[in-house]
Amino acid sequence: MAGDVTKRTQVRIWDLPTRLFHWLLVFAVIVEAKTGFFGPANSLDWHVWAGYAIAALLAGRLIWGLYGSEYSRADRLFSALRHLPEHIGGLLRLKPKHYAGHNPAGSLMILGLILVLLALVATGLVVLGGTEKQGLLAGITPYDVAHLAKGAHQVLAYSLMAMVVGHLVGVATEMLLLRVPLIRGMITGWLPKAPHAASEILRPARPMLAALSIAFSALVVTAVALPLSTHKGLGVPAPVSNVLYVKECGACHWSFHPSLLPRKSWALIMGSLDQHFGEDASLSAEAVKEISTYLDANAAETADTEPANRLRGVSEAEPMRITATPFWRHQHDELPPQVFRSAKIKSKANCAACHRDALTGRFDDQNIDIPDTSKAGETQ
Amino acid sequence: MKRALIFLALASLSWGSAMAFADDRRDAILADLAAQAVAADPAFTAFSADRGKAFFLATPSSGKPDTPSCTTCHTKDPKAKGQTRAGKEILPMAVSKTPDRFTDAEKVAKWFLRNCSSVLGRECTAAEKGDFITNMAAQ
Ligand code: HEC
Ligand code: HEC
Ligand code: HEC
Repeated sequence: MAGDVTKRTQVRIWDLPTRLFHWLLVFAVIVEAKTGFFGPANSLDWHVWAGYAIAALLAGRLIWGLYGSEYSRADRLFSALRHLPEHIGGLLRLKPKHYAGHNPAGSLMILGLILVLLALVATGLVVLGGTEKQGLLAGITPYDVAHLAKGAHQVLAYSLMAMVVGHLVGVATEMLLLRVPLIRGMITGWLPKAPHAASEILRPARPMLAALSIAFSALVVTAVALPLSTHKGLGVPAPVSNVLYVKECGACHWSFHPSLLPRKSWALIMGSLDQHFGEDASLSAEAVKEISTYLDANAAETADTEPANRLRGVSEAEPMRITATPFWRHQHDELPPQVFRSAKIKSKANCAACHRDALTGRFDDQNIDIPDTSKAGETQ
Repeated sequence: MKRALIFLALASLSWGSAMAFADDRRDAILADLAAQAVAADPAFTAFSADRGKAFFLATPSSGKPDTPSCTTCHTKDPKAKGQTRAGKEILPMAVSKTPDRFTDAEKVAKWFLRNCSSVLGRECTAAEKGDFITNMAAQ
């Protein structure tokens, strides 16, 4: 029975918008997986833009689920679910029934994929807003909320990967058991007619209605997004500003942003300048006083960026070192030690050598730029 | 045209006096150090660039372990750029390369205090400071 499948009449199952949606989504998810799981950190922009693309694709697809041609309609997914037990029974006997469009298991998978993708977009926006202080939610998302969302985003991302594997296994199973060329079908739109398909009235696409809905949604999104996008990031500190601080504490190294250590650590540093990491960095009493006041007023406790939140957890053994905090070590554990010793960097504390925005205290992923240290003879 | 010429003349005048001013300030610092040197040792006669050079290149090993010598950060060549232990560039110490070296008395005092403490484990004498500056001013 399955053998004559190629001789059967071909029917148009997937219309063009659905096929475009499918393959653009595949591409966007590949970009997300590559940049999300494997980095590098400064590919965050790619990750974010692919995320916006997925949001737009999902919105378009949901609208097409209302106005698309028959097999693209959302209600078919729900009605197919009713046949799920029967379908699973057929699969277990290796004799599944051939359904036109998504089979019941496929329908379940599509619903799951769409839900997980929507949740990924939502948590992604929260993470971007609260940890990076970027994107639409930067002005209203506290770090703590984003930190929770980051956990969820990660669990969802792994779930999505598992579901993608499940989806591919499902497609392969149907292609093997029923000899239906599903991949070609998603490219051309045409598939062999299901043999026992009840004759049904196929609803045509309503492109005008779809276009109007998409235009209307775009207007609503713009109206919400525009005012949000002008907000200043919540708890983003001012760049290093105190002139005396820059002059004195910027003489031997870049002037560390005050939000990179908590008050207690700055007080320890300012109280021991004659024994400063193996050097004498002593200052006049007036200078110590002015700089201490500046550091105290702008210490990590006063900012809500990711570095300020995480670097507050200083190491007990070396509370004066940013580079000894568990967070700093974790962020930099993949960099080979000789990179830090290279002539252009020389010290782990030379943050500004790799982080172009160090003086702002933001430490955005996009502003990481490790100087080329590959030239021979530059390490010491 | 005439105006431009006057402007140029004025500009070069003020530039010239700025250079002279810089030298004045370094001379004042040296004069002050010379007075201290005489007070400390009546036999003192003049600063010596040679003694300054030897002092600069020495490795006294009486200071902090990470800073054995002035050359740790300033390099052996006064005309070359140096680098701090934390990776920041230091402009050359030689006055021919960095003309405003040793012209700000407060800055000079601050760095002698720190760097002598780091390298020698004590303050430098007025004679050592004067020799050092004399050597760098001759470079
Ligand atoms: C005389 C030179 C000098 C001056 C002036 C100086 N520092 Fe430092 N500082 C150092 C050195 C050297 C290190 C250690 C760098 C290393 O370990 O690679 C250091 C390290 C630090 C660190 C720790 C970096 C890490 O590893 O996380 C902090 C924080 C710091 N300095 C703050 C200050 C402040 C605040 C001032 C101004 C009051 C100041 N420094 C002035 C030389 C200096
Ligand atoms: C040799 C170059 C280099 C130096 C020096 C360096 N970093 Fe980094 N830093 C990196 C790289 C690369 C990453 C990205 C690691 C990753 O996630 O793949 C990073 C990540 C970070 C992050 C996390 C950024 C984010 O949003 O995920 C923070 C915060 C940070 N660094 C702070 C610092 C501070 C503070 C210093 C100085 C005390 C410093 N770094 C010194 C290269 C450097
Ligand atoms: C740990 C690194 C380090 C060592 C070792 C060091 N210096 Fe310096 N020195 C600096 C830095 C940094 C500056 C200030 C940067 C600048 O002025 O460009 C400086 C500035 C100075 C200045 C002030 C220059 C001016 O423009 O007025 C003098 C004088 C000086 N050093 C003398 C010495 C002497 C003498 C020694 C050895 C006893 C020494 N230094 C060792 C890092 C060092």
